[in-house]
Amino acid sequence: MKQRLILTLLFLTFCGVANANEAGLDLEKIPADSVSILNGAEHVVNNCVSCHSLKYIKYTDMLALGVGQATVDAWRGSNPVNAKILAQMPAEAAAAAFGGIVPPDLSLMAVAREGGVHYLYSYLLGYSVDAKGDTVNRIYPATRMPDILAISTTSDVKLREEIITKTKEISAFLNWAADPHAEHRKQLGIYVIVYLLLLTVLLYFWKVQIWRKLH
Amino acid sequence: MYKRTLAWIDQRFPLTSFVKHSVADYPTPRNLSYWWNFGSLAGIALVLQIVTGIFLAMHYKADVGMAFDSIQHIMRDVNYGWLLRFIHSTGASAFFAVIYIHMARTLYYGSYRAPRELMWWTGQGLLLLLMATAFMGYLLPWGQMSYWGAAVITNLFRATPFVGDYVVIWLRGDFQVGDATLTRFYALHYLFPFIIVGAVMVHLVALHTVKSSNPSGINLAAKDNIPFHPYFTIKDLFGLGVYLIVFSVFVFFLPDTLIESANNIPANPLQTPAHIVPEWYFLPFYAILRSVPDLAGGVVAMGLSVLIFAAMPFLDRSKIPGGSRYRPAYRMMFFLFIINIFVLGYVGAKPVTQGTALLGQFASIVYFSVFLLLPWISTREEKYLRERGLPPELETLIKDEEAKKSERRQNNRRH
Repeated sequence: MKQRLILTLLFLTFCGVANANEAGLDLEKIPADSVSILNGAEHVVNNCVSCHSLKYIKYTDMLALGVGQATVDAWRGSNPVNAKILAQMPAEAAAAAFGGIVPPDLSLMAVAREGGVHYLYSYLLGYSVDAKGDTVNRIYPATRMPDILAISTTSDVKLREEIITKTKEISAFLNWAADPHAEHRKQLGIYVIVYLLLLTVLLYFWKVQIWRKLH
Repeated sequence: MYKRTLAWIDQRFPLTSFVKHSVADYPTPRNLSYWWNFGSLAGIALVLQIVTGIFLAMHYKADVGMAFDSIQHIMRDVNYGWLLRFIHSTGASAFFAVIYIHMARTLYYGSYRAPRELMWWTGQGLLLLLMATAFMGYLLPWGQMSYWGAAVITNLFRATPFVGDYVVIWLRGDFQVGDATLTRFYALHYLFPFIIVGAVMVHLVALHTVKSSNPSGINLAAKDNIPFHPYFTIKDLFGLGVYLIVFSVFVFFLPDTLIESANNIPANPLQTPAHIVPEWYFLPFYAILRSVPDLAGGVVAMGLSVLIFAAMPFLDRSKIPGGSRYRPAYRMMFFLFIINIFVLGYVGAKPVTQGTALLGQFASIVYFSVFLLLPWISTREEKYLRERGLPPELETLIKDEEAKKSERRQNNRRH
């Protein structure tokens, strides 16, 4: 009985592991500290918001994250502080520029693709120049997005390092944007599980004590 | 003060006598294992889903232009909205896990056999209600997988003879899945859990009439029963503690593992996702559906795969009472069935290739064969076991069982 259970569990584990990296994603660790997220916020607003919206993030959320008032005021321009962060390029112009495809909203991009934040990271660094001189992306070949971070055209080692750090910070910020309460959730989770463990251990001993009354 | 209030109520309502008879003193077999905890866990899962669902409903908007945004509003702006949402989405998976284990216990120990057939059939009804509720609930986030999953499954009703096309339009409320579908699915998703509560009460009345079975599979003597309280109240509480720990690990640390990434993209009727996959708890039935190349045939096979459970009391023709305890062939078939379910689940999750299609068809045949061969295998096994001689405790128990059965028959004749 136990043998069968172990075999079944091994089989399932194998299935899980076998699926882990069919797409060839780069599984580099994405930082989750607040400095990386704040830097990422700056990179995203300065590089990405020209074409992409972040419609589930408001400027007030940026303030709550820790971005300075002056920076946020510069970002929002004439928009009120509780406005959503929308793309600077209007949708029709963007569609015209990119072959009919509107650049997708980025608020949930970290969870909207198989591989999550690793997909994002691999995609942004996945650009290269092929033999014909075209810029292609190995993660999403059909993309219309240009190589904004210029990874495909940078060969200087130090500059490449900077781009890679920038990409990690962008991924960290978009990871935050997809689930702003993740930190709080995990912290709360620790407390909840410790409490439940204590409670369950006590309930176990109580159960054993009550059942001892039976002969 | 408390005693006098209770006495006042008891004169007008059977509160104390009901609790005493049906909960505290209720006779339960003393040898119930932890596999018997899953019924009460299912009840807890239902309560959690209803409570989180009601609070989510205070913020959700069932309109194609607002549904996806309202869920982001719940996740980001509503105080602890993220917790409500994740408990509800994880809770659906937890509910199905508990129910499937509960069903497996019933099959393994033969708890569906006489006199518990009605328990099994009310349970069947509950499973169908749960599946409908989950299916309709999945449309509500209005993500890519929500929309396309609903489009695929509502389309299956086209298989209805003669009026198929009209049935699909009637079901959807429009020619395709849209605002009408979303609104009615919301209304029904809110309603069905309360129907489930009623059906659970019927299920429990049936239980209290015939009382629990037990791991030996054979009705024990009355002296082997113990009162439900305190023995099983504390055991159920401990089991609940373990359940909540596993549940919390998923809610607080792994909630995204149960949400398909494509469902974080708003529904787009003009763009089909690369792979349309239902939630894990529907995968085996989805695999059976896809195994038959014809639409009507697939629908019939999928429907039969859920409904065939109801035939179990008639398919098991062995006179040896109980389930797997004294019956090695039945036990083997049970484990074969379980492993096959996992194979079907794997096939359901994968895109259709020649390899997975073949595997799916093979596994579907195994699925139905386990049921259809049971009458023959159970009688052969009984013959084989009787030739080798049954263990003496089993002989006594069979005799007691026969005596009780003829007594029941006499009582029925008298009425």
